[in-house]
Amino acid sequence: MKKLYIVAIVVVGVAIAVIMMSLKNTTTYSDFTESAINSEREFHIVGKLDKTQAQVYEPTINPDEFSFFLTDNKGTTKQVMLHKSKPQDFDKSEQIVLIGKMQNDVFHANDILLKCPSKYNDAAPKAE
Amino acid sequence: MNSIEHIGEHIWAGKLGNAFVVLSFIAALISFLSFSLSTKRSEYLSFARISFKLHALAVVGIAVTLFFMLFNHFFEYQYVYQHSNKAMDMKYILSCFWEGQEGSFLLWTFWNVVLGLILNRLLKNSEWEAPTMAVFALVQIFLASMILGIYIGDYKIGTNPFLLLQEHESTKNFPFLNSATYLSKIDGRGLNPLLMNYWMTIHPPTLFLGFASTLVPFAFAIAAFWNRKFNEWQKLALPWAFFSVCVLGVGVLMGGAWAYEALSFGGFWAWDPVENSSLVPWLVIVAAAHTMIINKHKGGSLFTTHFLSIAGFLLVLYSTFLTRSGILGNASVHAFTDLGMTGQLVMYVLTFVFISVALLIHDELIKYSYILGSLLLWFFSLIYGHQKLALEIWCVVSLGMTFWSYIKYFPKEKDEEALYSREFWMFVGSLILLLIAMVITYFTSLPVVNKLFDLNYAQLKVQEYNDFILPFAVFLILLIASAQFLKYKKNNAAAFFKSLLISFGLALAFGLAASIPLYFNSTGYEVYNKIGYTSLLIASLFAVFANLDYMIRVLKGHIKKSGSSIAHIGFALIMIGALISTSKKVTLSKNTSKQDLTQLSKDFDNQKSILLTKGDTLAMGPYLVTYKGKERKGIDVYFKVEYLKKGKDGKPEFDFELIPKVQDNPRMGKAAEPATKHYLDKDIYTHVTYADLSEIDSTTLTKFNEAKNYVGHVKDTIFAGNAIIVIDSLRTNVNEVEYKKSDSLLEVTAILKAYDSKGHVFRAMPKYSIKNNMQIPGEYVIEELGLKFVFWKINPEEGSIEITMSERIGNTKDFIVMEAHLFPFINVLWIGCIIMALGTAIAIMERIRQIRRKHA
Repeated sequence: MKKLYIVAIVVVGVAIAVIMMSLKNTTTYSDFTESAINSEREFHIVGKLDKTQAQVYEPTINPDEFSFFLTDNKGTTKQVMLHKSKPQDFDKSEQIVLIGKMQNDVFHANDILLKCPSKYNDAAPKAE
Repeated sequence: MNSIEHIGEHIWAGKLGNAFVVLSFIAALISFLSFSLSTKRSEYLSFARISFKLHALAVVGIAVTLFFMLFNHFFEYQYVYQHSNKAMDMKYILSCFWEGQEGSFLLWTFWNVVLGLILNRLLKNSEWEAPTMAVFALVQIFLASMILGIYIGDYKIGTNPFLLLQEHESTKNFPFLNSATYLSKIDGRGLNPLLMNYWMTIHPPTLFLGFASTLVPFAFAIAAFWNRKFNEWQKLALPWAFFSVCVLGVGVLMGGAWAYEALSFGGFWAWDPVENSSLVPWLVIVAAAHTMIINKHKGGSLFTTHFLSIAGFLLVLYSTFLTRSGILGNASVHAFTDLGMTGQLVMYVLTFVFISVALLIHDELIKYSYILGSLLLWFFSLIYGHQKLALEIWCVVSLGMTFWSYIKYFPKEKDEEALYSREFWMFVGSLILLLIAMVITYFTSLPVVNKLFDLNYAQLKVQEYNDFILPFAVFLILLIASAQFLKYKKNNAAAFFKSLLISFGLALAFGLAASIPLYFNSTGYEVYNKIGYTSLLIASLFAVFANLDYMIRVLKGHIKKSGSSIAHIGFALIMIGALISTSKKVTLSKNTSKQDLTQLSKDFDNQKSILLTKGDTLAMGPYLVTYKGKERKGIDVYFKVEYLKKGKDGKPEFDFELIPKVQDNPRMGKAAEPATKHYLDKDIYTHVTYADLSEIDSTTLTKFNEAKNYVGHVKDTIFAGNAIIVIDSLRTNVNEVEYKKSDSLLEVTAILKAYDSKGHVFRAMPKYSIKNNMQIPGEYVIEELGLKFVFWKINPEEGSIEITMSERIGNTKDFIVMEAHLFPFINVLWIGCIIMALGTAIAIMERIRQIRRKHA
């Protein structure tokens, strides 16, 4: 059975190596301030849409470019350039998760996840 | 509580349902106790069987009652109100049943009962009957408690599907409940429209049957601890493990097919936590089945068969916890809501880990210290807090106990495994499967890891998953190709390699021939991927050829015995289909901006969406596409997109039409559903990412939008929705000097040139005039483009003019932003799935036949 022990040790070793490697490379949830310091790395930013500032989506010029302002969980507001079409339920979103990098004070996101208000438990209907 | 007497409520139905719920719980409890007792004293056995049958009856009773209530629209019940309505088609009634949490637990319970009854019949009067059935009954106690809905102190156990609206937390404050006759006026909320498709009818029962089937190997493994017989159950459990492999595998891929066909994931596999948490138990159960085969033919692999069988079931429980506790929160596109069951689900997972470890330990002193220690740890963490620390300590101790028991109780084989033997490589393959499962579990559990250790890691991306899994997949497939040619125990190495020569040669030739144009002569692949994809392609082809070869040369075409070869061919085809359709996925819709996004990062690609204005025809990949318009049917908005191809004489001719839709779902928001044109060798996949869903009627069409003001010089451009406008020149009737002298009429005409997307040029000539110091703005409309210009000001100092432009409503409005992808050879994947299921089914039949032959 000795060979199997070797195999088992190799397998466990590889598993640990993959996980350790991922600890280095995995992006983390963060805020604008940290992503500005480290502009090479990709971050996930969680925040809320700043509804007081303008959103620009001009699909006729570029359907893959949408700009808006997001306030992160620490309260910093930055311009976001999403390199994707404007998500359909964007204005209803409660919380936004962006994936991308900060460059020249603009956060360039290549992906977005929206959390819309409680999808299963909508408000009580009115009596008819 | 409400004291109003409501008219027309069917109180009896809820009472009946609740009676069945309580009965199912108590009968499971009695059944567990009596099966446990009968492991020592067989006189309890018949009583135990009867109580399990009673439990089964109660479960069926719950299901029938709930169906009856759904069928007859008893909207006074929250579950019926929440998940169905009067307008709903009756073919969706099954979907309503398992849309909710309670219903899906019920579905799982139901399958467990079915499997439990079959297992009980098969094992009747054998020494395995009592302990396996005790495990079944124990699991049923837990599942039954999930729909119990009772309070112990402040702690709620389960959510009950038979609550009236006025009893349910989310609905009890509805104002209409103050009316005695509310029932005659209300309608249910209905099934979520997103789930109204046949996938919702077939996917959940298949997946839950797969989940339920993992209980059988688990029950056998626990029963083995009970009986202290580690070497006998594997051959009995083997067909069941194959059954799990088959059903769970189909269930998982069905989920992928659903995502591909009806949801806009943009592919069949997105490494979403929901997908991962059902894939992981499958990987583990595949590994378990293979170690059982080793055990059957050669003995040994005792610890691994136990460990993997137990892990398979525990991972199903863990996946239930992951997907139903709300812990995944930000990590997934699926809508996870915390249903207030997190604590209960954690307790269930931990309880079954605890039971498994406690039973594994044989020494009584150590066993009871472990049990006592665990309970004390739990107790103290409840009182003094530090629950995370307690959980971490407990996990380490439990893991240590498992390892210690492995050293102590499991007989080790003295002689070394031969390197050239089937069992050695099958074992290695199982370990690789376990490794993949562990790593995927780790990555999927990052939200849990974050919680436990106060970290903040984000989810992995699809490409990262694909990249890390690639080398393991290649290695596994090589084993699939070659291991069958090795016999158990010793083999002649030279003969083994010789038997693989033809299929490997063929695979190498075909694989390289395909890979060079696919990956080496095309851009966009990194060296790692070029080599990885090529290796996977060659290995998968090798697996297909080698298994075919094995069927023909070794098995002489005996289909009955070829189950494993067929299943392995299926798996290799799945890999080929997944590899080519993913790595050669072509985005037909292209970015129209001039900015090169890849400069920002290699993760940004330039090729995503295309904007189509109604009536326009644009080139897209090898096609020309035209957006023909939209149509609203209820909450669904359908977008007609016509695909044209270049005909023989160069003129475009109609090829096919796709109608992707966007559902304006009142409960889930807007959801895009793709449309796909299927060819034998490729799929053309289209979905709308952005569109205005409101309908434009003819009365608003002629009106203009609000005017926007533009300040500009000659040669400046203005962007309109459907054209680019250049201020070409200005013409005056008199020069400025003359005008100042004479104080007479000054006329300035702005010559504007409008270029539309087809290259047509239109002219607008608004005329601005000043007469006796009166400024008179001039208007000009380009009818063809629906653009209105008003020239209203000149700023002589800056030399600029001011023009307002307004666009006709309906001019720019009707456009869609669309993504279109080409998935080559994706059918290979689906065909592979069917072949794998067929192969597994053949293998199950063969194994059952073998067991029967032995007993006969």
